[in-house]
Amino acid sequence: MNIFIYEWKSYRKSTLIWSLSLAGLTILLFSMFPAIAKDAEEFKRVLQGFPEPVRKAIGLEIDSIATILGFYSYVFLYVSLCGSIQAMNLGSSLLTKEIREKTADFLLTKPVTRKQVLTSKLLAAVVSLILTNIIFVTAANMMASIVKTESYSISAFILISVSLFLLQLIFLAIGVLVSVIVPRIKSVLSVSLGTVFGFFMVGIFGSAAGDEAMRYITPFKYFDPAYITNNSAYEPAFFTLGAGIILASISVVYYVYSKRDISI
Amino acid sequence: MSVIEISNLTKTYGKARGINNISFTVEEGEIFGFIGPNGAGKSTTIRTLLGLIYPTGGSAKIFGKDCIKYGSEIKKEIGYLPSEVFYYENMKVLDLLKYSASFYKKDCSKRMHELADILDLDLSKKIDDLSLGNRKKVGIIQGLLHEPKLIILDEPTSGLDPLMQQKFFDLLTEENKKGATILFSSHILSEVQKLCDRVAIIKEGEIVTLEKISTLKESTYKKFKIETAVSLDKEYFQIKGVNDLEEDRGTATFLFKGNVNSIMKKIAAIDIVNIWIDEPDLEEIFMHYYEKED
Repeated sequence: MNIFIYEWKSYRKSTLIWSLSLAGLTILLFSMFPAIAKDAEEFKRVLQGFPEPVRKAIGLEIDSIATILGFYSYVFLYVSLCGSIQAMNLGSSLLTKEIREKTADFLLTKPVTRKQVLTSKLLAAVVSLILTNIIFVTAANMMASIVKTESYSISAFILISVSLFLLQLIFLAIGVLVSVIVPRIKSVLSVSLGTVFGFFMVGIFGSAAGDEAMRYITPFKYFDPAYITNNSAYEPAFFTLGAGIILASISVVYYVYSKRDISI
Repeated sequence: MSVIEISNLTKTYGKARGINNISFTVEEGEIFGFIGPNGAGKSTTIRTLLGLIYPTGGSAKIFGKDCIKYGSEIKKEIGYLPSEVFYYENMKVLDLLKYSASFYKKDCSKRMHELADILDLDLSKKIDDLSLGNRKKVGIIQGLLHEPKLIILDEPTSGLDPLMQQKFFDLLTEENKKGATILFSSHILSEVQKLCDRVAIIKEGEIVTLEKISTLKESTYKKFKIETAVSLDKEYFQIKGVNDLEEDRGTATFLFKGNVNSIMKKIAAIDIVNIWIDEPDLEEIFMHYYEKED
């Protein structure tokens, strides 16, 4: 418990900054919605001038862009990119921080098991993500109800929003996994930015090419807002895949970390 | 009762350094010195005892329990001071010590303040702002605040001034009197000599010798250098226990092992200008043990 509290305290500032940035981005983008909704037809015509692959790549759906959920889906692509960077950063610095600052000796010579250390740290990171999500969803929901032109499905809206948290959990798990496999990460930021942007680009190219198989490769495509809007549910196959990635990564992390030598 | 029992402990890192088949025991209430040059395997042994690294062979027990299997349990009674002290920066000394204390299920605040007073450490400072010596003090306090039964020190004195070193040794002696067992690793023989009952000497990953300090002292050489006013008969110092005798225009140098009285009488009988008597350094003791092995 004491490790959890200490870790959480060390995340407070960054959690606040990330939360406010995500909320700020959402508020900014949503504030453009009334203008788009007002001149919907004209806006759609402009968009039609874009080649289709480009539209798909940046997540623009002409038919739905002037509806709250359609517009939210578009906004969400960029929110999820930022959120993923936050989660991947948390994950990959979770254990490497101790090695870099040479505090692993301090922590692991205390009467705690490595499993307890890992669990406390993971919980603190998850709490940080939960708080970010609460602030983000509150801001998004508030903006949506202010700028809405017609009623929309609240449940679909919530499901899309919550998929940010699921996506973040996946990247948190991947981040920790990378950090135990590559133990001496010199710069956490470059590793996490590289990984997240890599997956993001795969997603963009996959969408542009309309390649269904690509969806399995990048977590950015596991939670398709269009599907959620139409069905008010997640796609079972991708939901399972995401959960599988998290479980597998975390299991490997627990195993490797318990067996690992803490070198100076 | 043995507090530490190490049997055939082996740790290899690929081909490089490590330790090979190390065995020794540390008895309850003992101050045990563990000496050897840098890279000999002292830290490797200690880190294995603490479960920071895992042995490739053999085993180690602390308080009769396997140090890997029961790691978290035995660490309740262990205080550890690493050679390099890096603690969470951006944190005040007091917060760090409180965090450290929170791992032990007892009230450590009284002892914590006592130790801070003895070592003259300002608890309200930030760790970033501390000098090396003061960081070392933080390390000492976090290692001792829960009054552990076993204190493990890995080259603890670097960065401490002589006065602080003395206070620190007094602290250790005091803890030892209260019943704590101490494992003290160092590459400086003199500091181990002052404090320890027994020492193990480690070189290149193997225990070269394990002896009482008193025996070790008897069996080691002293270096003599004597300057005389007139040239001496070349054979003058050639008595039992003298080795490597060299004479050069009124300066005699030799190594002596045995009863010092016999050599002192010899010296007293002549007119000398100057004299130097040196304890052999660690390297020379190693040489001595290597010679014995050959």
